[in-house]
Order: sequence, then C-alpha cells, then structure tokens
Amino acid sequence: MTLVMPARTDGKARTRFSVRAFLPAAILVFMVAVALAAPWIAPFDPLDQDLLALNQPPGPEHWLGTDHIGRDVFSRLVMGARTTLLVGLGGAFAAFVFGAGFGLVALSLGRVSEAILFGAIDLVRAMPGVLLALLLIVALGEGVGPVTIALGISFAPFFAYVARAIYHREAAKDYVTAAQLFGGDPLHVLRVHLAPNLIGGLVTQAAILLPRCIVTESVLSFLGLGSSPDAPTWGRMVAEASRYIELAPHAILAPVLAIVLLTLSLSFFGDNVRRTLDPLREEAGS
Amino acid sequence: MKFLANAGFDLGRMLIQALGIVVIVFLLARVVPGDVVDLKAIEGDLSASQQQEMRTELGLDQPLIVQFGQWSWRALHGDFGDSIRFGRPVGGMVRTALPVTLVFAGLSFVLALVLAIGIAVGAVMTGSRVLRSLVEIVNIWSIALPTFCIGVVGILIFSVWLHWLPVVGSMLLPILIIGIDGAGQIVKPLYEELREAATSTHVRTAHAKGLSPWRITVRHLLPTAVPVALALSGLVLAGLIAGTLTMEVLFGLPGLGSLMLNAIQGRDYPVIQAAILVTAIGLVVVNALTDLLHRMIDPRLSR
Amino acid sequence: MTIAGPRLSRRMFMASTAAVGFSGLLPHVSFAAEPARGGVLRYATLGLDTADPHRHTGSIAVQQIYAEALTSIAADGSVEPFLAESFDISPDGKTYTFHLRDGVTFHNGDVMVADDVVANIERVKSKVTGGWLASAVKLVDTVSAPDARTVVLSMHEPYAPLANLMSELWIISPKSEGWNETIKTPLGTGPFKFGEWQPKVKLVAPAHTTYWRKGMPYLTAVEADLRDDVDKGLALRAGDLDIAYIKPDIAKQLATDPNFKVSPLKDAAWFFVAFNNRKPRKPFDDPRVRQALSYAIDKNAFMKFAAAGGGVVTNQMVLPGNLYFDQATHDADAHTKANLDKAQALLKEAGVDPAKETIEFVSWQETYPQVIVQMVRKLGFKVNHVALDDIGAQKRLGQYDWDMNCMSSGPRADIFLRYVRLMSDGPNPVLWGGIQDPDLDKLIKAAVAEPALDKRKALYLAAWQRVMEKYYVVVLGLSANQIAMRKVVQGYEPGFTWSPNWGSGGVAQTWLAD
Repeated sequence: MTLVMPARTDGKARTRFSVRAFLPAAILVFMVAVALAAPWIAPFDPLDQDLLALNQPPGPEHWLGTDHIGRDVFSRLVMGARTTLLVGLGGAFAAFVFGAGFGLVALSLGRVSEAILFGAIDLVRAMPGVLLALLLIVALGEGVGPVTIALGISFAPFFAYVARAIYHREAAKDYVTAAQLFGGDPLHVLRVHLAPNLIGGLVTQAAILLPRCIVTESVLSFLGLGSSPDAPTWGRMVAEASRYIELAPHAILAPVLAIVLLTLSLSFFGDNVRRTLDPLREEAGS
Repeated sequence: MKFLANAGFDLGRMLIQALGIVVIVFLLARVVPGDVVDLKAIEGDLSASQQQEMRTELGLDQPLIVQFGQWSWRALHGDFGDSIRFGRPVGGMVRTALPVTLVFAGLSFVLALVLAIGIAVGAVMTGSRVLRSLVEIVNIWSIALPTFCIGVVGILIFSVWLHWLPVVGSMLLPILIIGIDGAGQIVKPLYEELREAATSTHVRTAHAKGLSPWRITVRHLLPTAVPVALALSGLVLAGLIAGTLTMEVLFGLPGLGSLMLNAIQGRDYPVIQAAILVTAIGLVVVNALTDLLHRMIDPRLSR
Repeated sequence: MTIAGPRLSRRMFMASTAAVGFSGLLPHVSFAAEPARGGVLRYATLGLDTADPHRHTGSIAVQQIYAEALTSIAADGSVEPFLAESFDISPDGKTYTFHLRDGVTFHNGDVMVADDVVANIERVKSKVTGGWLASAVKLVDTVSAPDARTVVLSMHEPYAPLANLMSELWIISPKSEGWNETIKTPLGTGPFKFGEWQPKVKLVAPAHTTYWRKGMPYLTAVEADLRDDVDKGLALRAGDLDIAYIKPDIAKQLATDPNFKVSPLKDAAWFFVAFNNRKPRKPFDDPRVRQALSYAIDKNAFMKFAAAGGGVVTNQMVLPGNLYFDQATHDADAHTKANLDKAQALLKEAGVDPAKETIEFVSWQETYPQVIVQMVRKLGFKVNHVALDDIGAQKRLGQYDWDMNCMSSGPRADIFLRYVRLMSDGPNPVLWGGIQDPDLDKLIKAAVAEPALDKRKALYLAAWQRVMEKYYVVVLGLSANQIAMRKVVQGYEPGFTWSPNWGSGGVAQTWLAD
C-alpha cells in the first residue's frame, strides 16, 4: 500500500533540525559508546551471581540493584547494550542483505522472475512476523546467530520492497532511456545512479527497522526463545525479571526504560534522516 | 467492470498466498527438531521402541507429501483431525479459541479507530494544542513502547499493586494496550489528511457561510475521516495478529495466539496447521477488504 | 504377606509444615468445624494431556479428580488401600490378590465389580503403548476375577513395584465413550466427574453424587486451571485461585502470610548433576575429574537458591523419612561442603589443567543450573552453557556429545521408577547420561524381584552405592514441590505424588469455609 503523504515543508523544518535532531542522535551515540566501553564501565561481571544478595534494591554497591539470581543489574544493562545493539543491527543488516540482495537479483533477472520471486517475498511479508521468527528460531536453535538470521528473514521483505520501488522509479527516468538510445548498457547506468538513491532509502528503512528488530527480539526472549542465558540482551532481562516483578521492580524497569529510550531515539533519528534526505519523497509503505 | 476484475484478480493472488503460508508452515513445523512423541517420551519415560510405536500410531513416519495430502484433503472437507497431543478434535479447539481472539482483536481495533478518529478530528476541529500534542504522544507511544513492556508494567500496577483487575483472564487491560497502540499507528497520518481536508474549499466555504464547527465536522470531516482511517487500518489489523499473540500469552487469554504457541511448543502439527490456516484466511479477508476500501476511496490507485 | 486395613505411618520430614500423618481409609475425617457444602474449588497445579486416563504419561495432577485406582500412596511412600480395601501378595511375590471395596460406583451409576478391573488391566496391556505402567503390566501373565469382589494377578516374575504402580492404573468404566480406541469421556469412580475440557485452558468437574466415600465430596465442582504460562502465585494472591502450585521463593513468602496455608508434596523433586556416561569424553571419563567437579559444588548454597531455603541437602534420591532412605549413607556424604583445594589436588593428580578444557554443559532454561555453572567456572574450567527447551535438551542429551548437566526430576509413585532410568535399556536415560553398566543392572533387577522390604532396601542401596562410587550421578538435594492454598480451603492435603485425591487428604474431603 502506498499513500502519498506530502510532508509539511516550510522554512521551519530547517531551523528545527538543529535542536530536535541533535538529542536523539546524541542519545544514540551515547548508547553506542556505552556499549563499546561496557567491559570497562561495568563494575561487576554480568554473569556473577551473589547468591546472598538476591533482588536487592538499588544501593551504593549495586547502582541499579540485583536481579533474582544476584547479578548486578547495572552491569547487565551496560553489557546488555552490546548484545542488544548487536542483535538489532545484525538483524537489520541481515534483513538488508537478504532483502535488498534477493530483491535486486530478482529485479535484474527480468520481469518474470521478478514477479515470481517477489511473490515469494509477499508471502514472507504476509506471515505474521513474530510467528515466522518463532518457527525459525525453534528450528535453528537459540543464540545470537539464529535470532539474527530469523530477524533478517522476517524483515527482509521491507528492504526488498524499497529496493524495488527505487529501482522502478529510476528505471523509468530519462537518463536510462537516453543511455539505451546511445547504446550504453542500461544496467551499468542503473548501478551508477541507483546506488546513491538506494543507500538513502535503505538507511531510512534501517532506522525504522532497527527498533522493530530489537522489540521483536525482546518479545522472542519473553516467549522463551531468543538469546541464551549467558548473553543478556535487554529483552531477555525483561523476560527474566517479569516473574519477580513485585520483589524487584527495578530489575525490570531498567531494561524497559533502556529499550524505550533506544526505540524513541531511533525513531526520531529516522524521522530526521528521512526529512533531510528527501522531504517530498513518497514514503514506501511499511 | 475493471474494478471487479482487479478485485477478483487480487483475491485470487491472496488466496494463493494463503495457500503458500499454509505450505510453508507445514514444512517449517516439521523441520523444527523434535516431535510430539519426544515430548511424551520426556514426560512418560518412553523407551525407544515405544516411541517408534507411537509414531506409527500417529502417522508421523509417513512421507511428508502423504501427510500433507491427507491433511489437505480432510481440511477441504472441514475435518481438521485430532490433536496429536491431546486427542481432542482440532476443530473444537479452534472453535473455542477463535471467538476469544476475534473479540479481543475486534474490540481493540474498534477502540483504536475510535481513539484515532476522535483525537484527530478533535485536534483539527478545535485546533487545541492539547489535542495536537496528544496526536504526537499517542503516535510516539505506539512506536517506542513495546506492547509487552506496557503489559508487564500494567499487570504490576493494576493487578498486583492496585488489585483492580484479576491477574489473568481479563481482557480489559490488553484491549486498552493494543487499542492505544493501534490508534498510535494511524492517528498522525489521519490527522494530516484531515488537516488537509479542513483547508479545502468545501470546508472554507462552509465556514464562511457560518456553519457551526460541529456541523462542519459531521458533514465534511467525519465522512473523510472514517474511510481514510479504515484504509490506514489495514496496517493495524495485520499487526494485530502479532500483538494479540503476546498479549494472550501474558494475560492468559485462551485465544488463537496461545493455541498456536502451545501447539508449536508441543509440536502439535494438526493444531498448528489448522490455526495457521484460519489466521491466513483471516489475513486474506482483511487484506482484501482494506484494498477494496482503499480503491473505493482513491480510484487513482486502481491498476 | 498381607497388607490390609489402615496402615500407620508416622514419619514427618519436611521442615516447612507438619504433614498430617494418619493414613488408611476412614470414611469420615473429623474436622474442627462441620464441613460446609457447596462451592467451586479453583485448582491449578499441572496440566492435562489426554481424556484417556490410561494413556496419560508423566506427572499426573488432575486426573485423580475423576479417576481412582486400587491403591494409593501414603505419606511415607508406602502403599495404602483405595478402591481395593486390602490386598495379599504371595510369598514368592508372583501372585497379587486384591479385595475390592463394596459400593463403589462409576459416574454413570454402575457399580464397580471385579470384571471391570480385569477389563482395565487388559486394556492397559493391549492398547496402551507407553508409560511406566505399560511395561509393568506386560509382566502380568494372567488376570482373573474369581468373584465379584476379588481380582487375582499372576506375574511372570516377582515384581516388587507393582503394588505402588497399581496406584496409577485407573479404574474406568468399560462403557466409557471411546474405550476401544481413545477414551473421549472417562467414566471413573472419583469424587468429581469429567465435565468440559478445554486443553491447556481448563477442566470443569462437577460432583459425583454417589461417590463411595459417604457424604463426600462437599464441593459442588472443581475447576482445574490448565494454563502453564500463568503466574499461579500471583493469581492465588489476587484471589483468582484457591489451590495452586507455587515456586519455592513464593512459598517462602506465603508461609508467613496468615491468609494462606503452604504444604508440600510428600515426595520431592530431586536436583542432580549427571555426567555423560554413555560416551564420556576426555578428561571427564576420569572419576577423579568428576570427583573434583563435585568438590567444587557448594550443595548448601545451591539448595538454598533452588529451594529458597526449604530443601534438603543429601546424596540420595529420596527424602529422609522415606522407606528407602538410608541415614548412614547420608551421614557419609563427602560433598556436603565445597572443597576447592581438594578439587585442585585431584585435578593435578589426574594431570588435568582446567584452563585448557571446555565443559559442554546442558540444561533446561531454568536459573538453578547457572549456579552450578558459576561454581564450576571457579575451578578454572571454561564452560559452554547450552540452555534448551524440553525437546531441544532431550535431543542434545541423546547425542551424547556433552560433558555435564544439571537437571531435576519429580516425584514418583515408586522408587523403581527412578532406578529404571539408570539401567542400560531403561526408558529415556539421557538425563542421567545414559548409564550402561551391567553390574548396576544386576543389582537393580535383583531389588525389583525381591518381595521382602528390608532385603529390597539393601539391594537398592547397593546399587546406589555403585552409582556414587562411579560418579555417574551426583545428587545435590531434594525439594518438595509446594502447594499453597487460601485460608478458606479446608481438608486438603497434598499427597505423596501430585495426586489431588488420595487416602488421607484431597479434593473429596475438601470444603470451602466461606
């Protein structure tokens, strides 16, 4: 479904850019920095269990308290940032590779194969996302790898559609016809001009998909699949802490807030990117 | 005429999609390691030969084509067979679970529409800053806050601390959560469409004529709002399926979502297949309806 | 040897609550107040897998509401009469004679006679594929009904566990719908009838008005909640349930709450560490390495965590107070405390450098195995902890490409059902590493065939000593599953296994005090 939604472009959009765009970007940069510096910031080993200090509230020793197995919540949050971002980025990247790759291959092989292969992509898209990811993970097993692949497959259609939309839009343009008339290879022309346009569209899509990947991974962890117990993601922390919600609300609030902050920043950031790149562009339906 | 032809063509394409989904799930479910006999073996300490006997009894050792053929043939006649885990007729299990999900999804959807239309129309009509902020807030809410997080926090607040709601079985909280989530997905585009419509010549003329804001709303805005909201809500409906699954698990609602999840965990193939068939058909119907609505609103889009 | 009438069993063994120690079948139990009639009991423990009682495998916690058997298990693990008011075992252990109770009716009003019992035994023998009972019943040569109240079983060889296992051979009316295939609506003898069943959701069981225990049941119906994703503790405290199975930490909380009563099952779940015994990989095939790993484990800390302080640390598969428990063996446990120095010394002696080894550690997706993983890491080993769901773990363990696990196993009607998993051709031995030890098999088989209790106990113990010497399996401790109920629930006492309906306490005798 494609809806033509002209955005409000007036002069104000430009000046708001500096303030509104700065905050989400700053938060994201901060989170990435925390994720990278995690092993040095975390005061405790995230797997270290202090069996005598279960479900402790935040205090001077454990800044965010401990969880039901005596592990330091702050350390897990900070190390969890790594795995969460890894799974999110990995999933989005896998979706890009599967989707754009598969889509472009389908497109370059001609109209017939395009119809067939995109029919298959439609099929994947029609399947309820969580369900597909669930089945794939049960089939592939637990852990960061299988989850990333499952997320990649589930979200690949979005990238495929964007690739196709841009491809067709470019392919209809004059310079391609001109190249054809002059005997040049239209594919070459497309590649040269396609790439920059693609990048723009795909980055936007990635910004939309990243939070969805992270949330889907959280849901999967919550349902009992997803990352392994030794590699905490924020979603897994929510899943494990949900059983002790009364005894240790801090243990569940910390990762929930972290997820919310991440998804908020990403969506604002994605919004801004979209506005900067092409404010009048048709939004590819998703 | 062309309209009907296009609609028919799309319906056909969607039915093939539904079939495709069923086949994929059939295969995926069997690729998944372990089957129902393994589960029973764990619980009941079955020996290897006993497991083999059970598999033959349940027909699990036949070639996949045969299994699929048998199942499809019976399904076409409305016979979904018996659950290999519980021995109960699958049709009955689906029939008990479906209304729960339909009620849940239906009420959430209605709530989403009412909220979205209410907020968007209100914001356009009154121009109040509160309502305009509400548009943004609800929109951001649905983007940033995962429904299961809200669900967990909601249980904490309303069931554990306040004791207002029972811990399991009550649909009130999940409907609210999914409803708000759905509203958030459509309220912003709806608001912008309406704002555009509000600046159109009809409305300006009506305003100039001195018609009350209420009459303008009812005669000009609402008729635009409702179809547009319905068209947008195709997205919401498709997302409802995933949303209801997590909510059903979290709140213990015995709907199609938990039926499917339990069936996947229990490797109960007949139940998985029947549930996914019903879901796929539901998706097809929903997609067909929304596309139809979409075409009726915007004839430009008819291919 | 005749076992008849009320049996007195007196041992109390769980710290949390005092188990009421009387057994035997008294038609009326005296209460402090007169039992009130009416009300619906909302009960949530485990699930229900099938409407055909004979086909139910695994832990059974719902079926006993509508289906009963000839015997039931008393609080100390011994057999007590139920639908049979007494039974005799011949001195050679091969012939069992059951004397049936008078006036037992099925849910359709028919009176239960010996032929019905025979039909049930025949059905299990011929129609049922899996489960503990099926293997036992296959050893039955002939079963006959010399008169309407007597059933005689003649075994191929002496089989000591039979009396206990009969507690799970449900007596269902052969007129039940689906008898020849899979029963759809079981007509049992239990205090409540099989009403409406929504798999994984609930079972509604209305009262059986002509139940054999006169005056009972007091309740109008029992509603069993079968959902397993639901937080039962939360629902119980919110008043949505009357009786629920709760986790140890919640049990600890509720034990001090005057609005609730917490009571354990009389048999316990046992936690253990098992090694890959079928295809052990170097260096974990060396008993010294296994011993070292055992010395790294602090059993007390583990049980404190896993059982929230309510468990028992021991080295045997049963609780103190059980018929087969041996105090001397328990006192001689070398591993009650961790001893890292000794562990390191053993590793040195075996020539193993832990830093160079990675242990493949398999478990379910629970938290308690993580405690063991951490303890093992302290020894210097690298551990790859693979946490899988039921089926995944089953498959992985069956591949025998792992080194160590940490798992648990629940209550059983007879101790043989625990030993059988340690045998070479036992059912589903993967949790215990797939032991294949002919000497161990011999000891266990001898115990099974021994009719005299004290000799049997000694044989089982000898078998267990061997398991300990070889470090096949290391027991960490036992923790009884806890059942919590609201204050208004009267007359309910959890049984030896998960049964909600047994001689000395259960739904038949339960009433609601409001």
